[in-house]
Amino acid sequence: MGATGSKLEKALGDQFPEGERYFGLENFGNTCYCNSVLQALYFCVPFREQLLEYYTNNKSPPEAEENLLTCLAELFSQISSQKKKTGVIAPRRFVQRVRKQNELFRGYMHQDAHEFLNFLLNELVDILEKESHAAKSLAASSPEKVSNGTCNGHANGVKKEPLVTWVHKNFQGILTNETRCLRCETVTARDETFFDLSLDIEQNSSITSCLKNFSSTETLNAEDKFFCDKCCSLQEAQKRMKIKKPPHILVIHLKRFKYMEQLGRYKKLSYRVVFPLELKLSNTTENTDSEYSLFAVVVHVGSGPNHGHYVSLVKSHNHWLFFDDENAEIIDESAVQTFFGSAQEYSSNTDHGYILFYESLAASKS
Amino acid sequence: MMNSGISNNSMSSSSVPGNNNSNNAQSPGLKTYFKTPEGRYKLQYEKTHPAGLLHYAHGKTVTQVTLAHLKDKPAHAQPQSSSSFGVSSGVRSAAARFLGGNGSKTLSFVGGNGGGKSVGGLSGRVGSFGVSSSSNSVGNSNFDGKGTYLVFNVGDAIFISDLNSRDKDPIKSIHFSNSNPVCHAFDPDAKEGHDLLIGLNSGDVYSVSLRQQLQDVGKKLIGAQHYNKDGVSKDGSADPSFPIIKDQTQFSVSHARYSKNPIARWHICQGSINSIAISNDGAYIATVGRDGYLRVFDYKNEQLICGGKSYYGALLCCAWSMDGKYILTGGEDDLVQVWSMEERKVVAWGEGHNSWVSGVAFDSYWSAPNSDATDENVVYRFGSVGQDTQLLLWDLEMDEIAVPMRRPPGGSPTFSTGSQSSHWDNACPVGTLQPAPSMRDIPKISPLVTHRVHTEPLSGLTFTHESVLTVCREGHIKIWMRPGFGENQSSNSDSLLSTSLKEKTSLSGKTLSSSYKQFFIETVG
Repeated sequence: MGATGSKLEKALGDQFPEGERYFGLENFGNTCYCNSVLQALYFCVPFREQLLEYYTNNKSPPEAEENLLTCLAELFSQISSQKKKTGVIAPRRFVQRVRKQNELFRGYMHQDAHEFLNFLLNELVDILEKESHAAKSLAASSPEKVSNGTCNGHANGVKKEPLVTWVHKNFQGILTNETRCLRCETVTARDETFFDLSLDIEQNSSITSCLKNFSSTETLNAEDKFFCDKCCSLQEAQKRMKIKKPPHILVIHLKRFKYMEQLGRYKKLSYRVVFPLELKLSNTTENTDSEYSLFAVVVHVGSGPNHGHYVSLVKSHNHWLFFDDENAEIIDESAVQTFFGSAQEYSSNTDHGYILFYESLAASKS
Repeated sequence: MMNSGISNNSMSSSSVPGNNNSNNAQSPGLKTYFKTPEGRYKLQYEKTHPAGLLHYAHGKTVTQVTLAHLKDKPAHAQPQSSSSFGVSSGVRSAAARFLGGNGSKTLSFVGGNGGGKSVGGLSGRVGSFGVSSSSNSVGNSNFDGKGTYLVFNVGDAIFISDLNSRDKDPIKSIHFSNSNPVCHAFDPDAKEGHDLLIGLNSGDVYSVSLRQQLQDVGKKLIGAQHYNKDGVSKDGSADPSFPIIKDQTQFSVSHARYSKNPIARWHICQGSINSIAISNDGAYIATVGRDGYLRVFDYKNEQLICGGKSYYGALLCCAWSMDGKYILTGGEDDLVQVWSMEERKVVAWGEGHNSWVSGVAFDSYWSAPNSDATDENVVYRFGSVGQDTQLLLWDLEMDEIAVPMRRPPGGSPTFSTGSQSSHWDNACPVGTLQPAPSMRDIPKISPLVTHRVHTEPLSGLTFTHESVLTVCREGHIKIWMRPGFGENQSSNSDSLLSTSLKEKTSLSGKTLSSSYKQFFIETVG
């Protein structure tokens, strides 16, 4: 551990800015699902910055009760304020909090990194919303303190009712589900928000192709007809999903764990799904061609769904790093393609990209 | 660790075929023919490497194929060469046509990293099939050498197969102990008989006589000229013949201070160059790379002429049309891009691949069936292969393409192929690189044929007079005969495939003492 730390430090050289920290995370018994997601989030710079800002603004309150948000903020601040550039940190309090909060993650069983990410983001949003409500009921306090001073101003026509926290601003996108009744031609559009896109995958395909399939037109007929409000009856219809508002941070989850009905259990799909370092979404409603850059990959290692390991790849200041619990090392950009998956079903390569994190290049943050 | 092929019992059984330790390339679900308007293309032969070689971890090197036509002429003796190795950026691509007046000049491109995989260029026209010599002369010193050969790299070896023989296995293998070969090129007219060029992952480049290799019984390269021993480093400081590159982002050319190979260094861009193609007349060089740009250079004047960005992601391959009017590119945006040299911009996007496009080529042997084509109405046929395991064939008919309405300054909004498009020349001076086009601005074309060729991602394709060759990353080559060809040679390709399996050459079952350059991250499970 110590040896790898100094090795990494040497490898880092002077190519990285002074303030950047690269710390491995200790594993508390099958907590690699958590560690891999934490690294991806730590190197999601806008998220990290806002979390640290939150930490600074909320340091003092005496009534402060420990929750997942404060634990995460504390952990990130602990990492970023380390004297050394590299090393290992034990995310003990955070993991304890996760286990306390959700019985799903309490055991020492292998957990799903995507479920964890989902749980974490929703939990953070809940806490921020509660804090905002609490502040509002106090009436006197300014909204600034509540949600980091970034909660006002609703982005791109997001409906007014829910509070837009900085977690939303980073991760939330809006999908629109367009259904066209084939009888009356009326188009019903229903919007839904998302923190990530879960994509079905195919052997030897690309993320571009999976996104295309995600937005492809589906015909609802036979057993699966659509209730048209105008026709007041079940009708055949065409349905498609489009992205109405692309998120600033696009999280793509590959559905590598598939329930096999005839087996009565889950199976891991080791399919080769290539993901480019740059991506554009063309399935948007406004054809904006918004461009994204890949900055983190959570990788599932192993051949089955119920065991295995998680590691992560992150991009920091134009260099790629590989994090495996307490270990961290610099890798070449071209090594990213060894995590695409296997073109053959039985392969010794079991390291597969599972959750992809892309950051928008166009939308200016801050 | 990556090399151990541990089978895992927890995996459920599945109907998906494709066990990669068998050479039964005939997997269920793959058709042995595909239909085009002019008729059926049939799978005639397959070429591969000996079994047992495949269990190196996938993806380390990507197989490329070079077609080599040996004329009936005697070989020359070649000088010996030394062999010291330097580690540096790898050679990624060999152009299919050598440049310069004396046969063994090489171009050295500075890649940005010593990255794992290479996607080489397969471009240029190769002569049609000669009469085949039979392939039972393995490593024969009386080798007459006439014929057409396939040169392909797998792992640490170069294999050579006789294109017209029924034998599936190669007739020759050459092993490299220090680094893997990643690209190669053949020039039948190279002076001094050094007609085969081989580039290694380490940056080393060899030129050899193909005939001499075939005459030798050994498994080592013989009579080779060895260039670029010290390779090229990121800033170009490894080779004292060339000055250090001052600005990585700028195109720069420097000539060697001493008269030796490489004679010149072209620094193209940051990041790797994935493919290079030289126009048929030798006047222009096209490069594509990691940064997603196609660049076209005037070779003689060493000048950047034009170029443009992909829709997104790296570009992986490029190829010229015979007349030099169009360049095809393919890349990580799953698109086949048609670049017009007259317009100096992208004129069409081919949509049809479900993954990255790894090989593109114009079919220069194909002509439109009802050829009333005037100069203004030329139809081009081209092909593309992708990591989706598919071969796609396309027809490019410029006056059929619906160009989205734009608002040109004062000009007519209709598109005409023959126009000099002078306002474009004004709009973009020589050397300007176009930004990525918007999706709605580029006309789309659809493939004529979509055919799943293999169970593995494909890496390249080549058109010959009689056939289309496809190759997959792991080193399996399929030869698809054009309609009207090959029928009298074999009526039943299935029996042909099974007999060739029996004829194992001495190559199979050999042990490999390889020293692969490791690009993999050891993962702790």
